[in-house]
Amino acid sequence: MPRFAILTGLACLSAIAGCGAQATPPPAFARAESVAQIIPRSMPTYEADVAPTIDRYCLGCHGPSTRKGGIDLDGDAPSLETWGRVADALRTGTMPPSGKPRPSPEQLAVLGEWLDLEVFHCSASDLDPGRVTMRRLNRAEYNNTIRDLLGIEIRLSEAFPADDVGYGFDNIGDVLSIPPILMEKYLKASELAIAEAVRSSRAWSRIMNPAPDMVPIALRKPTFAVRTEPVKRIGRPEPPAPIVEDPEMVALRRAHEILRAFVDKAFRRPATTDELARLVSLVESARKDGDSFEDTIAYALKAVLISPGFLFHVEEEPEVGQGPLVNDFELASRLSYFLWSSLPDDELYRLATRGELRKGDNLARQVRRMLRDEKARALLDGFALQWLQIRSLKDATPDPSRFPEFDQPLRKAMFEETSRLARSILLEDGPISDFLDADYSFVNERLARHYGIPGVVGDEFRRVSLAGSHRRGVMTHASVLTVTSSPDRTSPVKRGKWVLDNLLGMPPPPPPEGVEALKPEQTGGRTATLRQRMERHRVDPKCASCHARMDPLGFALESFDGIGGWRSAEGGEPIDDSATLPGGESFGGASGLHDVLIARRQSFAHCLTEKMLTYAIGRGLGPADRCFVDEIARKLERGDGRSSALIMAIVESPPFQSRAKVTP
Amino acid sequence: MTMKTLPRRTVLRGIGTAIALPWLEAMTSRPVRGASPASKAPTRLAYVYVPNGVHMPDWTPTATGTDFDLPALLQPLKSVREDLMVLGGLALDPARSHGDGGGDHARAMATFLTGTHPRKTGGADLHAGISVDQLAAREVGQATRFASLEIGCEGGRDSGQCDHGYSCAYQVNLSWRGESSPAAKEVDPRFVFERLFEGQVAGEADPAAARRQRRDRSLLDFVSEDARRLRDKLGVEDRRKVEEYLTGVREIERRIDAARPAVNIGQASLARPSGIPSDYREHLRLMSDLLVLAFRVDLTRIATFVFANDGSNRSYPSIGVPEGHHDLSHHGQDTQKCTKIQTINRFHVEQFAYLVERLKEVREADGTLLDHSMIVYGSGISDGNAHAHENLPILLAGKGNGTIKSGCHIRLPDETPLTNLHLSLLDRMGVSTQAFGDSTGRLTSLDA
Repeated sequence: MPRFAILTGLACLSAIAGCGAQATPPPAFARAESVAQIIPRSMPTYEADVAPTIDRYCLGCHGPSTRKGGIDLDGDAPSLETWGRVADALRTGTMPPSGKPRPSPEQLAVLGEWLDLEVFHCSASDLDPGRVTMRRLNRAEYNNTIRDLLGIEIRLSEAFPADDVGYGFDNIGDVLSIPPILMEKYLKASELAIAEAVRSSRAWSRIMNPAPDMVPIALRKPTFAVRTEPVKRIGRPEPPAPIVEDPEMVALRRAHEILRAFVDKAFRRPATTDELARLVSLVESARKDGDSFEDTIAYALKAVLISPGFLFHVEEEPEVGQGPLVNDFELASRLSYFLWSSLPDDELYRLATRGELRKGDNLARQVRRMLRDEKARALLDGFALQWLQIRSLKDATPDPSRFPEFDQPLRKAMFEETSRLARSILLEDGPISDFLDADYSFVNERLARHYGIPGVVGDEFRRVSLAGSHRRGVMTHASVLTVTSSPDRTSPVKRGKWVLDNLLGMPPPPPPEGVEALKPEQTGGRTATLRQRMERHRVDPKCASCHARMDPLGFALESFDGIGGWRSAEGGEPIDDSATLPGGESFGGASGLHDVLIARRQSFAHCLTEKMLTYAIGRGLGPADRCFVDEIARKLERGDGRSSALIMAIVESPPFQSRAKVTP
Repeated sequence: MTMKTLPRRTVLRGIGTAIALPWLEAMTSRPVRGASPASKAPTRLAYVYVPNGVHMPDWTPTATGTDFDLPALLQPLKSVREDLMVLGGLALDPARSHGDGGGDHARAMATFLTGTHPRKTGGADLHAGISVDQLAAREVGQATRFASLEIGCEGGRDSGQCDHGYSCAYQVNLSWRGESSPAAKEVDPRFVFERLFEGQVAGEADPAAARRQRRDRSLLDFVSEDARRLRDKLGVEDRRKVEEYLTGVREIERRIDAARPAVNIGQASLARPSGIPSDYREHLRLMSDLLVLAFRVDLTRIATFVFANDGSNRSYPSIGVPEGHHDLSHHGQDTQKCTKIQTINRFHVEQFAYLVERLKEVREADGTLLDHSMIVYGSGISDGNAHAHENLPILLAGKGNGTIKSGCHIRLPDETPLTNLHLSLLDRMGVSTQAFGDSTGRLTSLDA
């Protein structure tokens, strides 16, 4: 990794440190030049460059005698995890806390460089790309894969138990298990899927009349040790047909062709000769049982749909001497499940077959093409709505006595608005900062009425300008404001936490142990306004440190009620949506919150990078991923903060391109 | 076609009246562990979970022993008082933080039946323990078509963060097949019905079923072979996933191989549930009916039933509580909030009473289905406001085939592990183990 790139990233630190003293930082790229000139090009060393800064700015609180937050930076070699926390605190500007002296931008840059090079070893050529646990298809992937494999519209996975969620997403290999009940469901779903395909003459004729085999025989090497019994002759279609042939042989050969094409697609890689031979023998046995040709094919297809090769994202262990790069078929599959939640289409498959997926600018072209395809909608449902936690909107139960206007059409419209904004950013190459401050949105009549936007008639959604309104960006969407409310009231704490978790990537630490909820006398009882009761979070210093970070962000949104409608008063009292951050920075209302967030857009970019990378590779990020995330965030910055730059940087990153070998 | 739920439920309750009792036949031919001597009905075990604790001042009877009173929250159980044991003093120490900080709701759920402090992880290295129901299912599950039944009325969280850095897997699964394999629950009564009873309703028998089963069996053989070959080439973590797959396959194979004649559950007029009722009470009752029916016709002897996941913020507008349950549970002693919490608690107990009463209505062998059951009801939290894990609200309904002295309130010493109860019930299921989770012994006070 070029050192210049590292410095570029570090320079951003100064812009965001100090909880946004500057409203709009100058572009980091421009600043990097000057910092780069200042820093000597020798490797910073701990004794000369790091220790003095740490001594002066950190040890007051994080020394051997103080150990605030359990962190001692003076003791024996702080752990990698501790250094990770240091790097995060410096990057986000949460440390040193406001009011304490801060290192200069140059000192921060040196510290950051030292951490990158000497602690995290970001410039090493053999960084551990991480290893995703073999994951099964989740429910969305199952439906989409069946749709694209068989050419039928049927949503079978709705009968499956819910996928467990880890790290905020439902496609995490470690968490997706196969309880026996799911195996039962797979068996039944395979039956229903094939029956549906048989019923659809178009789908069935496509399956029964496959295109010629384009896969070189070399790619059909047996993946498994060949069994002791001889492989059937029909395993190889090449030999010229004899003049007179047993009709049964003809049938089996045709079965072989059909299954070859089907398995190639279903397993997202070429079927091996061995697998095909086994499947054909299954057909053979069903033929002996008296089945018609079509029935035997349907029977074998069922087997394919409950095979591990179909249900799991299998990635082979590389052979000895090979690097950790996943092969072209696996990469095609990673791409298509990232952007489409479905299997690779013919074009991706063809490139993989030729070994050309990584050649030239093929990857970039494919990503662009895939984002334009309607199947990329899956990225909105799978990634954006999960990241923003909008999926839980379906379970939201606003109190009907307080919000009589909340109904199904409004709930649906809320979903649609956020989904459309995500579409305009992620699929149409918008700037990711639009999530924070888009001055436009998408409404239909129902939602426009909710927002008080005049002149929108009809059910269809259209883009409208938000100029002159109180709304901007996703956190003023009714969807977000509803899922971060309690059924009967707003929750500034939930809203603040939502902003910290999902936009700034600075989740507050969990409450200290043994904290009891406030007693009524401490909160002023029910006569106090919600705001007054919340202020009492500051009564106990144990609560105050985190609530001082969460609550103000939520207070600023108090002008939006529990379903995201605008209000100027609550219970006869005017709304107070002013807020003060721990550093003393004061702001008011949603527009003030926007300024605060825009000033921290680097943190947002970093946060979005982490979330999307997690989703793209299907595993939680660990300390070893730090360098990759930083590098992706830098590429995003260089790409003017466009979503295509983010998506492309993720696709090019080692965690996406590679899989660490099994540790022996 | 939409039908009102109530009539459907009533029909469901009526079925299964004229059926053969499969366990009787099974008993005579091959005794299984966990079954009492051949003349007796098998013992059934179920756990019912409610979230966020209960309002303890209105839960705990003032008197102990057989002459105990029924406080407000237990009033709905009046008609089954003599079949009930109220257990005070049980604690769930593994649910406490032990240095892991917040996350009491996730831990309450993950430890309730496992008695094992779960590893704090957002996903990688999930680790709890095998749950008591699954341990029992390993031993006695072979005797029935389904080793165990996992049902609930609140599904998984399908987005977002769960409790304080714990993967949602901890917070939505009560039952764990292995230390890293949660057993997902079914929440749609229609799917529960189809799974349990499909092809077994009189007049609906599928003549091709036998052939299809044979075919399915070959398919499963086929894919197991695939899976075994794959497994041998994988790393440890990946192999674990294939093992789960193979376990699932074996489970279905076992069911097919057992070649148990389909249980004919009677009336052809049976209407199937058409999905999740919009009314929560109906949902709970429909699931209860299915559970009773599954026990009654001996499709399974082990079940877990999650009324709602711990930390649930469900609102209960139909009983005058439009606020979220979890929000309310942090009531800060506010009397209005406490009253609403009581309302929710009482509602849950009413639904439990419904389940217990249905079990009691079923006559079998020398008594009722309830006599042969052990139904534990409770939460992994006592006071929701403080996330307390001691003096939990725990009820035990049923006489466990004459092994349990019911109709009393027992106050155990403080900090008696909940797992001591689990261990004592495992004994009664014929599972011999010296310890379970953090258990320190057995509860002799249960003994009849």
